[in-house]
Amino acid sequence: MQPRAVPARSAEFEARYYDGRNSAQLAVRLIIDSNGQLTVQAPDFRTEYLLRETRISGRLGNSPRMIDFPDGSRCEVADNDRLDAILELQSANRGGWLHHMESRTAHVLLAVALTLGAGAAAVRYGIPWLAEQAAYALPPAVDQRLGQGTLQIMDRTLLEPSHLDQATRSRLRARFAGMTARLGKADRYRLEFRDGGRLGANAFALPSGTVVMTDQLVQASEQDEELVAVLAHELGHLERRHAVRMALQNSAVALLVALVTGDVVSTSTLIAALPTVLVNSSYSRRFENEADDFAHDFLVTSGIPTRHFAAILERISGDREDSTFGHYLSSHPGTRERIARFR
Amino acid sequence: MDSTPATTAGVLPFRFHGNATEYFRIWIVNVMLTVLTLGIYSAWAKVRNKRYFYNNTELDGSGFDYHADPQAILKGRLIAVAVFTAYSVTSSAVPAAQPAFLLAFLFALPWVVIRTMAFNTRNSSFRNIRFNFRAGYRDAARVYILFVLLIPLTLGLAYPYFEYRHRDFMIRNSEFGTSEFDFDARAGQFFSIYARAFGLLVLAVLAAGIVLPGLVTTAHAAASAAGGKVPTPPSPANILPALLMLGMYMMAGIYLRTATSNLVLNHAAANGHRFISTLQTRSMLWIYLTNLAAIVASLGLLIPWAKIRLMRYRMDNLKLQPQGGLDNFIAGEQTRVMAAGEELAGIFDIDLGL
Repeated sequence: MQPRAVPARSAEFEARYYDGRNSAQLAVRLIIDSNGQLTVQAPDFRTEYLLRETRISGRLGNSPRMIDFPDGSRCEVADNDRLDAILELQSANRGGWLHHMESRTAHVLLAVALTLGAGAAAVRYGIPWLAEQAAYALPPAVDQRLGQGTLQIMDRTLLEPSHLDQATRSRLRARFAGMTARLGKADRYRLEFRDGGRLGANAFALPSGTVVMTDQLVQASEQDEELVAVLAHELGHLERRHAVRMALQNSAVALLVALVTGDVVSTSTLIAALPTVLVNSSYSRRFENEADDFAHDFLVTSGIPTRHFAAILERISGDREDSTFGHYLSSHPGTRERIARFR
Repeated sequence: MDSTPATTAGVLPFRFHGNATEYFRIWIVNVMLTVLTLGIYSAWAKVRNKRYFYNNTELDGSGFDYHADPQAILKGRLIAVAVFTAYSVTSSAVPAAQPAFLLAFLFALPWVVIRTMAFNTRNSSFRNIRFNFRAGYRDAARVYILFVLLIPLTLGLAYPYFEYRHRDFMIRNSEFGTSEFDFDARAGQFFSIYARAFGLLVLAVLAAGIVLPGLVTTAHAAASAAGGKVPTPPSPANILPALLMLGMYMMAGIYLRTATSNLVLNHAAANGHRFISTLQTRSMLWIYLTNLAAIVASLGLLIPWAKIRLMRYRMDNLKLQPQGGLDNFIAGEQTRVMAAGEELAGIFDIDLGL
């Protein structure tokens, strides 16, 4: 190599020196010369190291750099750009690729796009898919534990004992038994009747395997096939393990949000709750569609015209405004679309 | 530049030099790499994040530094995940095992606290002197088993006392080099902070109760528990008092945090150097609320800005009242700590709140 004037290969920096034995701070000059020699110098202090035996912290924005020396002492240098320039020339700059990415706007924008895209994909597809796999792998006992005590709570707060006569009940129970037998789950699912009170005409499936139908729904029906259609929808929720999947999905979303937000201090709980609620309603809409799919297939294969589902949906959606709490359909969006589908 | 910064006269301010644009770039690259590596990079991201905040915090011309080894954190996280999975699987398959697990957790808690504090302090330094944490299991057990159990026994009334013992334990067992930290707050001061926060909560409930007496939240809760169905979106008449209550609740919570921070810092000392913390509840509330709004509106992209802003406010209100110079702390012996304790605490959401 040709010996040339190499002023750029050496540089001087103002730095703070800490010997590592006590907390004294010493203002020093740090000299890096072209031979890879590093000198720490103060009026009555001088020590030398080889650049390659030091450990220089990777660049992090514009925060001061820490240079660790083999004897446990260290220097703090503020002049990032000049330090980087000389390290570059001496091929001593390690771990710079992160800073490289962070300082290129195009890379940062790419990171934003990738992150938002990955987040959306995880919430839209990844989490539901994982939750589904996990739910089918879990024993039914888990569902039962989830639903434990729910009916008792609802009996105390929302529901009243049913006023339906015995004949109606046994007739509907027989239909229900026929349906569950077709699924091969006659012993898993039960049908209960309650006065819906404020819930009005409604039916819901509890994870324990109990389907509850309100008197008001039975009264709103014109023939049993309509109720069978509603029961098929509720069995869809149970067969597709919606309760467990919902629980899994919600905790996964909360976990994801917590992972990304990290320690955004105490607001984190609130922040984590908000997207969870928003995502939750979109998930529950998808579950309704899935239960509808199930009901549709079930009715078709049982030879029951699907318009019965449309008929009862239409009838009970007509008077849903007059209740403070909302009706069967309130969590079922796009009622008109759903009705159209079953017509 | 002067060879000796002003260490002798007056108070020394903490200064935070981080800025939102710069930190945003670091943060988003961290998040992206975490996503692309399916979470593995999060250990490196954590170190980079912490380093950014430590390095940019300056006291008397020197920055702080964070030294944790990302691989140690990753190992810790893996152990934490393994323990958590074992717990979830066992307790759902064998419900009878759950009490045994909880008992094991209770006895592990003091250990987790010690490990967490040790990991954090020993990986933090100022002027090339490490912090340290030294405590025995017995002392920790007194605070984190005995006084924790006291809380339910007294229906929560003992909580401020626990908080006092908790802070006392954490600060008194911390060291900077060979110098121990002192703590001279009294339990009564914690009680009066909690009494005031409780007063705010009572006001919140009263205020919401006057605006709308018949708040039927129980019905909503019961219905949403059933069958995974979401209740109807609440009407504006329901939302207003709920928001009011949420606001008051937040205010009480932030008052609690702010007042506790001030109290703890103002009563901590090392080698006669004392801290002066002057956080204001009103400013903190404003920062939290606007941070929250910004984060939600930006789909999380303003999280870096929010964090920087909060840190700047905190540092703007923290000073050190030195006794003599800061030069006479002596380095202690260094020992390495596994990160398992800290990551366990993280995954089980144990907030050590320092």
